[in-house]
Amino acid sequence: MNDILFRHNRPDRAVTLDEYRAEGGFQALQKALADLSPDAVQQTVIDSGLRGRGGAGFPTGKKWSFVPRNLPGPRYLICNCDEMEPGTYKDRVLLERNPYLLVEGMALACYALGVERAFIFIRRGYELAAQNLKGAIAQAHKAGFLGSAICGSTFNLELDVHQSAGRYICGEETALMNALEGIRANPRSKPPFPAVKGLWGQPTVVNNVETLSNIPAIVAHGPAWFKALAATPEGAGTKLFCVSGHVQKPLCLELPIGTTLGEIIDTHCGGMRAGSTFKACIPGGASTPYFTRDHRTVPLDFDPVAKAGSRLGTGGVVVFDQTTCMVAATLNLVRFFARESCGWCTPCREGLPFVQHILERIEAGRGEMADMDILREHVHKLNYAFCALAPGAMGPVEGLLRLFEDEVREHITGGKCPLGN
Amino acid sequence: MIKLIIDDIPVEVPEGTTVLEAAQSVDIPIPHFCWHPALGKAGACRVCAVKLLDGPVKGVQMSCMLPAQDGMVVSTTDAEAVAMRKSVIEWLMINHPHDCPVCDEGGECQLQDYTIAGGHGIRRYDGKKRTHVNQYLGEYIEHEMNRCIQCYRCARFYQEYAGGTDFGVMGRAATIYFGRQEEGPLESPFSGNLVDICPTGVFTDKTARFRARYWDYDMAPSICPHCSLGCNTVPMARYRELLKTTARRNDRVNGWFMCDKGRFANTMVNAPDRPRQALVDGTPVTLDEALDALATRIDDFLELHGPQALAIVGSPRMDLGGNIMAARLAELLGAGALCYFDTPDQAHLTGEAVALLTAESSASQEDVRKADLIALVGCDLLNEAPMMALAVRQAWRSGAKVYVIAPHPDLLPEGEGTNHTLAPGERVAEGRVRGQLPFPFEHVATLAAVPLAEAKRPVVICGATTEGVEAVQSPPRTAKLAFILDGPNAFGCAELARQHNTVALSTALADSRIRGIISFEADLPRDLSPVIDVLAAADWRPTRLTARAGVFLPTTAWVEQEGIYVNNEGRAQRFNKVMNPGLPIKGLTPELHPPRTHGKAAPGGNVAPAERLIATLMQRLGEAEVEELEFPLLDKEDPLGPKGARGWSSSCLGLKATTPGPS
Repeated sequence: MNDILFRHNRPDRAVTLDEYRAEGGFQALQKALADLSPDAVQQTVIDSGLRGRGGAGFPTGKKWSFVPRNLPGPRYLICNCDEMEPGTYKDRVLLERNPYLLVEGMALACYALGVERAFIFIRRGYELAAQNLKGAIAQAHKAGFLGSAICGSTFNLELDVHQSAGRYICGEETALMNALEGIRANPRSKPPFPAVKGLWGQPTVVNNVETLSNIPAIVAHGPAWFKALAATPEGAGTKLFCVSGHVQKPLCLELPIGTTLGEIIDTHCGGMRAGSTFKACIPGGASTPYFTRDHRTVPLDFDPVAKAGSRLGTGGVVVFDQTTCMVAATLNLVRFFARESCGWCTPCREGLPFVQHILERIEAGRGEMADMDILREHVHKLNYAFCALAPGAMGPVEGLLRLFEDEVREHITGGKCPLGN
Repeated sequence: MIKLIIDDIPVEVPEGTTVLEAAQSVDIPIPHFCWHPALGKAGACRVCAVKLLDGPVKGVQMSCMLPAQDGMVVSTTDAEAVAMRKSVIEWLMINHPHDCPVCDEGGECQLQDYTIAGGHGIRRYDGKKRTHVNQYLGEYIEHEMNRCIQCYRCARFYQEYAGGTDFGVMGRAATIYFGRQEEGPLESPFSGNLVDICPTGVFTDKTARFRARYWDYDMAPSICPHCSLGCNTVPMARYRELLKTTARRNDRVNGWFMCDKGRFANTMVNAPDRPRQALVDGTPVTLDEALDALATRIDDFLELHGPQALAIVGSPRMDLGGNIMAARLAELLGAGALCYFDTPDQAHLTGEAVALLTAESSASQEDVRKADLIALVGCDLLNEAPMMALAVRQAWRSGAKVYVIAPHPDLLPEGEGTNHTLAPGERVAEGRVRGQLPFPFEHVATLAAVPLAEAKRPVVICGATTEGVEAVQSPPRTAKLAFILDGPNAFGCAELARQHNTVALSTALADSRIRGIISFEADLPRDLSPVIDVLAAADWRPTRLTARAGVFLPTTAWVEQEGIYVNNEGRAQRFNKVMNPGLPIKGLTPELHPPRTHGKAAPGGNVAPAERLIATLMQRLGEAEVEELEFPLLDKEDPLGPKGARGWSSSCLGLKATTPGPS
């Protein structure tokens, strides 16, 4: 079901501007500039129920509405394409196939927000995506969808692609703004929130690639159409799920938001690999607690996943089979987060290596029962870190202790990894 | 006002106060590493955790980041908050080396205090500690990165507060590194403050390395004598050796910091060639004998040449008491000249500058930090008064616009500065204070081109130079004025000069009637004619005058006596005696140490403050009762008390006054 994001996809290359336009591309922008006020566009997005696809799931229209109306000076929109969450590659696939959706979505968002200069902050490794975007921006310029007096209106917009120097923390919106300003990518304290005081001290909205790419369809077809796309009555729209791990066909696909985990794996990914049985998965990128066999019927949408004890996050599903040691898997994730800490606050900078050390000790068979208390303590106390990195990093550890306590105990009592690692 | 409750104590604080500051206001200490009153919040260390039991915010929160709000009920002793703070210490101690016994910070280490206070004693982490390679950061600051607890104070001070660019933070996660891109001396003239603000032993004073523990030091509140600003300090000495100097907080003067020139200028006090022996015609005598000889010689001189032929010389680098006594001595003898300044220009311009200042118009460093517009006229801040440049930077950081009028050639990076406070060879920080001003500014031709009238809190900072004094002859009434003077007590000398009939030393020497001089801690403006008889010179430093003196009287350095300097704004500040005078024990031969005979003074300690020398001399000269100097108002001042300009004696000098007190 490729209703929005993959609708224009060609199998082996990016869509061209002509193809995109032939299939209705940029009509939403033209419609908005001709018929809709900025407020009307914003209201449409609010009504659509679109929630941020970058991981936190914050309602997009609501985020826009936080921008004060009467502050002097410019305001900015930043597209966050610093996609570094392990297991997540949806934004890359999207941009490698169709950069125009993002360009049009950003143009609509900028129109709604009164932004005349917007930035796309893209991960260093995403070379092809960045090339596509730069090409698409140039093409859109030529066709009059960017620049000054767009489509004969009074709306002006310039888009800049900024290729990041590359660090996970740059995906945190305030660290991203610091990086964009050319200073050290440490998160900023909130408040003030970016909507009030963001990039260069001006009101700034930061949205994910997938979020912004949904805007054209929402404007074109209306909130009711968008809401109806979801698999559940509460949801809205489609979601890109990028599946990896021990499945037959790892892939990125667009499905109604709220599709169950079981359906994704069995129907769309061809089930588990031969000889593999499902043991657990990460439902939404590396910072989300695990799902097990019991969670296969959970609709993958923000609220149901949260209710089931995890987070939808980015929709990056990583599937583990019975050969996976959950301690080792968790250690692998924690190692990533410990390495990617920016080093600003103590709990993250020193706590994560401590957790990593404890997990290494357990995995090597040198663990003690008291180590589980240390882990539990950290799951609690890392919530008091400066930004969301450390609490996110504790997601898998929390899941490990809650769902696989026996497996951890086995490591400690047996003095070795029961799976022979 | 915001009303909240902290640990059952009702607290009332102004809006914008953090919970941490609100707690401090009622003497509830909350541990903190990254938070610093001058640097503000960072939220990095997470050790200031408290629990909010009720009100608009709930749960464990970082008190440094949280603005106090009405109805908050805060607990600093809640088990969850205590546990969090304990965890932070445990995390920090994972990598902190257990080298306290050989660390210079030991005993004055915030991390040590909080580790012990927090009760962290059992190590649960059994892995390797992270290690770093240290850097050579110059001759003044020792770098030991392994001790770092990543509070970011150093980088925030160096880059944000002081405007330095050659030091900062590098790397990420657990391996972040605070240092320079490559090894080399720190370029900022304020780099020594890293020693003070580092909460542990990453940056320590290299000049005092391995010499003493905190409790070993002789220390007392003092005032920096190395320029006219009068920054508050705590010099620290041991075994009669001045080992290091730290900044002492005074919100109205230097804030929390001091410059490197003031911090690392100890060598003159300890110098082996410092004259400590009273001499009569080159022959060692006791101080008493020297004074006796001098009294006789003065009598002879007066008989031979008459009092009009005698000049008594004080100096802006001598404390107020000494200078007042110099005037009394001149009066007693009916001396032909009383001199406080070297040249007529210096005397005239300093006098003009001081005459322009009133209690209302005189700008303190605090006024400068809070100004919204600053004009610099004819001064070379980095060389003449570095802390004033730092104060201007703080104003600029808060949005003030800075104008420079008729730039002094020394403003240029390659410029040659002058500083008469210490002779060229004594300026330890020489060469380091050259550089760009740590704030952007706009050049304008005249003060009239500066939109002073549009500003709410404008300050004009001038050198005591012709251009500076002329520019502000009729300053706009709204603008406050700060003059950069020459010497820690130049203001005091200018006021004394105004009250007495004085001439500049070079004028007196050019007058053929003057045949003899008696100088107190004064420097010669130029070569001394051979016909002038230097009857006596009193000083603690070797000068050309002491070399010529018939009678040499060794005096105490400022750290060896108590006294008063009146700083550039007219603030009379008392400094206390830090250490006993005498040859530093280090380097003494076995003949001199340990002492075989026990006297009152240490070897080389037969020296006295100039004020006392003059009083004694006056007694020898027949003055029956020499009145003690008293400064009653000054002693009542509280350095952190309510603001306001005060006179410190009914007749007299200072516009503002502070005494050392607890900081």
